[in-house]
Amino acid sequence: MKAAPIFEAGSHRWWIIYDQDEHRVIDSNVYVIESNEQTIILDPGGFEIFPQVFAALVEAVPPSSLKAAFVSHQDPDIASSLPLWHACNEKMEWHIPKLWEGFIRHYGALDAPLQNIEDTGGSIIIGGRRLEFIPAHYLHSSANFHLYDPEAKILFSGDVGAALLPPGHDAWVDRRDKTGRAFAEHISKAKYFHERWMPSNAAKKNWIERVSQMDIQYLCPQHGAIYSGDNVKRFLDWFDKLTVGTAII
Amino acid sequence: MNIQHIMGVVDASFAARQSIEKALREIDRRALNAMVLVKRHGNALAGYGVVAQAFRERAATLKDSAAHLQESIAPLIEAYMRILQHQRFSDSFEQMLAHNADHEKHCPGLRSTQKKWQIIIVEEEAEAKAVLERLLEMVQLLQEGIEEQEYVVTNGRIEAALAESTGAPLMRVSREMGEAVRTVALAIRSYRHQLESLEHESSTHL
Ligand SMILES: [Fe+2]
Ligand SMILES: [Fe+2]
Repeated sequence: MKAAPIFEAGSHRWWIIYDQDEHRVIDSNVYVIESNEQTIILDPGGFEIFPQVFAALVEAVPPSSLKAAFVSHQDPDIASSLPLWHACNEKMEWHIPKLWEGFIRHYGALDAPLQNIEDTGGSIIIGGRRLEFIPAHYLHSSANFHLYDPEAKILFSGDVGAALLPPGHDAWVDRRDKTGRAFAEHISKAKYFHERWMPSNAAKKNWIERVSQMDIQYLCPQHGAIYSGDNVKRFLDWFDKLTVGTAII
Repeated sequence: MNIQHIMGVVDASFAARQSIEKALREIDRRALNAMVLVKRHGNALAGYGVVAQAFRERAATLKDSAAHLQESIAPLIEAYMRILQHQRFSDSFEQMLAHNADHEKHCPGLRSTQKKWQIIIVEEEAEAKAVLERLLEMVQLLQEGIEEQEYVVTNGRIEAALAESTGAPLMRVSREMGEAVRTVALAIRSYRHQLESLEHESSTHL
C-alpha cells in the first residue's frame, strides 16, 4: 500500500493509505489526519492488511504521534486490526459506536481503551482541532458514523461512496475531468455495493439532507476513490436517485 | 521481538530521515551558492570551481542514495509487523495448550498448528534480518558518500586559502559546506545506531 497526501495547510494534514497488496480481502482505504503532531487514523483496517498499513503510515507520521483511532462501524475490514495497533501503542484511544462495544472487543482487545460514541454523534479534539462524528446509522451498519473536518472541509464517509476497484487504482476519481464522464465510469463500480450493502432508503434520504448542508471539498470513502469538487455533488445526486436495499429482492 | 523497542526505533528513524533530508537539501543549496560565486568571479576562481562542481555532483548522488533508503525502510517495518501479527496466532494456540493438557489429547492438531506458526515466525524473522542487513549496507554506502563529500570540503578549504586574494568569501562558503556535511553525517550515524540496535536484538533472539 502507499500513503499519499490529500490535504495540507501548515500543521494540518490528511493522507490516504490505499491500493492494497493483498487481494484475498476487500481493498480498503485508511485515512490519517495529523494536527500539530498528533495523529488520528480513520477506519484503521483489517487484521490481514495491518503490516502494510502500518509500514505506509510511518512514511507519513511517526508512530508516537498516534493518539486515537476512529471506527465508523464494527466490520472486520475496519476494526479487526485493533489488537495489533493496541500492541504497538496501548495509549491509543478507540472511538467507536457505543452499540458495537461488546462486538468490537471480540477482535481480541479486552483491555483496549474504547471510547463510546453515542447515537447522536459527538466530536474529538486532535492537536487543537475539532473533528465531528456525524451519525450515519443504517449506512450500512445500524450504528454507524462518519467524520467531518470543518477546517479541511473533508468528510470521511465510511462505506458510503465505496467502489470496488481493481488493483493499481487511483486515489481520486479523476479530478481533471470536467465533463462528468470519469464520474459516470467510476460510479458504475459503486452501484452494486450501494444497492446491496445499504439497507435503508429512509436513512439514505436523511443523510443526504444533512450532508448537503455541509461544506465538503472532498468526500473520502473507505473503499474506492475520493470524490472532489463537482464529483461530491454528483455523488450526492446519484445516491439520492438510487434505490437501495433491494439488490436481491 | 520487543515491539516497544521497534516502535522506539521507528520513531527515531523517522526523525533521522527527516533531518537527513533537510541536511541534504541544505548541502544542495550550499553547492549551488558556491557555483554562483565561482561564476561571478570568472577565471580567478577556476580552481575552486572544480571543487564546487564536484561538491554539487556528490550532493546529487547523496540525494539519490537517501531516496533508496526511504524505499527500503517500509519492507523492514512490514516484515516486523507481520511477525507481530503471526505471533498472536502462535500465542493463542500456546495459551490453549498451556491451559488444558486435555486439549493435546482430544485435539492433536492443536500442537502441530502451533508448531506451524512457530516455523513461519522463524522464517519471517530470518527474512526481516536479511532486509535489515540490506538496509545497513545502504546506510554504509551513504556514509562512504559523505566521507567523500568531507574530502571535497577539505579540498575546498585549501583552494579557498589559495584564492583569498580575490576577495571572494570562499572561506565562509567552505565553512558552511563543512557544517552542512557534518549535520548529515551525524544524522546518518544516529540512524545507523538505531538500525544496529535492531540487528543486535534479532541476532540475540535467533
Ligand atoms: Fe462495512
Ligand atoms: Fe467497508
